[in-house]
Amino acid sequence: MAADEAASLYQAFVDQDPASAIQVVERARASGIAQDALFDTLYAPAMALLGGAWASGAIDEIAFTQAAVVAEQVGSFVMPSAARRDTGVTVIVGTMHRDHHSIGHTIVAATLKEAGFRVNDLGVDVRPSDFLERVEETGARIVIVFAEMMQTARAALRVREMLLASGREDVVILVGGGPFSADTALAREVGANGVIPGAESAVKLVSRVAADLVAREAGEG
Amino acid sequence: MRERSATLAAAESLARQGAIGAAVAACYEALAIDHRDPLVRALLAHLMLEGDFYDEAITEATAAIELDPDCSPAYLALGLAYDRRGGMSDQSVLVWHELAEVEEDLVTAHVQLGEAFAAAAFQDEALDSWKRALELDPKEARATYNLAIASLKREGMALALPLFRKAGELDPSQDELFFVLLGVRDRPAEPVDPAAVEPNREARLAAAALALRDEDLFTAAELVRLTLDEVADDPQALALAAYVYLKQEATNEAMACALRALSIEPTLDTALYSLGVVYARRTGLNRHAARVFIALAKQAGGQALVHVLLAESLLGLQRYQQAGRAYRLAVRLDPACVRARFGLAAAYLTEGRYAEAQWEIRRAAYYDTKRQGLFWRLYDRYTSGGDV
Repeated sequence: MAADEAASLYQAFVDQDPASAIQVVERARASGIAQDALFDTLYAPAMALLGGAWASGAIDEIAFTQAAVVAEQVGSFVMPSAARRDTGVTVIVGTMHRDHHSIGHTIVAATLKEAGFRVNDLGVDVRPSDFLERVEETGARIVIVFAEMMQTARAALRVREMLLASGREDVVILVGGGPFSADTALAREVGANGVIPGAESAVKLVSRVAADLVAREAGEG
Repeated sequence: MRERSATLAAAESLARQGAIGAAVAACYEALAIDHRDPLVRALLAHLMLEGDFYDEAITEATAAIELDPDCSPAYLALGLAYDRRGGMSDQSVLVWHELAEVEEDLVTAHVQLGEAFAAAAFQDEALDSWKRALELDPKEARATYNLAIASLKREGMALALPLFRKAGELDPSQDELFFVLLGVRDRPAEPVDPAAVEPNREARLAAAALALRDEDLFTAAELVRLTLDEVADDPQALALAAYVYLKQEATNEAMACALRALSIEPTLDTALYSLGVVYARRTGLNRHAARVFIALAKQAGGQALVHVLLAESLLGLQRYQQAGRAYRLAVRLDPACVRARFGLAAAYLTEGRYAEAQWEIRRAAYYDTKRQGLFWRLYDRYTSGGDV
């Protein structure tokens, strides 16, 4: 089935018929081939056929180039989706008050965004009250607090205190930055639930926390 | 034209041949004759730098500049000594700024100035310097790598990765990898004449490879066509065709030829290379590119750049730790690989390991500036009174 469709797609390329090519793609999709699999099961075999046709002289150089143009037009229909699916999970990210180190939180925030999280980036020099305010505005359950200096790292305790004072003990606080990576006990001292050592681990940890929160809510429901 | 003593001329000759110890001894002899000769001091600074004696290089270069404030090779040696020593970015900024004004077309001075600014936390000034370097030479890979790192710090990996890849394509080492896979190291002594090539597969493909090495795409394409006219299913000919198309930015044709080659011989390294590069250029195909480069790494695991290409695809998949491992392997295989050093710096930045990232950037500069041989360019210009 897929081989037939690949041959049809190849023929549409050679016939310089983008409409037919798109129809072939739609047909394949309707037959149950997932978007992420279209490239491998349909497009790549069709391109291999095209390369073979050029090599054997079945199509000449000009026809090869024109077919490649059609293949380019159809390419976007078969590409795996670049953006990750929206997880629906909101994460608040910011660097502590009086701390202007931005690299860590920028990279982590961007990585979480790419991974499909709804990131609310408060930037640098964020007061504990601003974290609370944004939690109340968005209903977020995960807050990531960055600090790159000992003094500002210790001050992260104020974020936990404010959340507790407002009855938001359900909010998970994760911390990141040099002082926390060097001394994980410091994270416990400031009331954090976990430490984020890097961007990749941030995605893993936030995904796990989000899954736990969903499971807990399902259990309560 | 500056006059030079016979002793200095001997020191110069020894230094150009790489006889560092003998050249240093000759410089000290020259200093015994005239200790106020800035040329001798500048040459000595360069020699000390070559031996990684940074404090001594700083002393000699400073002495040369005191003797002649226009001694540009001494500024170069001084700036490099500050940068390689580390922790002297404030002084380094002043030196590179001066050299960039005196030798306006010296691209490296602007790149180094940018790195010194970045190390001193003047990010905007750093960006201006790298942009100036790219205005002078749009193919300056290290300026682009630095812009990629700056982009990573400001906006994250999604925007930085295309810059890393762009810089990588400016880096001639990527083409070198293809020719290593092909087994062609040197350019042909004379252009390939298709009419003189024996009419058999081996001779045609060997000549096509040599023509590609010589950037003669037309001849290579002609020889590949002749091969395919006889055997349309020749995977090596198809892989060469894929590379020819790749070099002409015809990525779909390249993909078609590479996929056809791999459908005949699934482990053909040259076809894997072209297909991986095509996939890496397309948004959304990072997973495919990583898969192809993993297959290539199994075929050519001793090549540093294979691991760099794999690492870049892994960055696109947010597998930063795996990417870091691939970059570290690349650096172990080739410590002078600038692309691997910058990539490793990026991987370290994602893990909050800023000092290690900075170290890798400095090592990249170390190997890049050693490779360029800029000292002799400035030295010859200085000795000829600026006429070179």
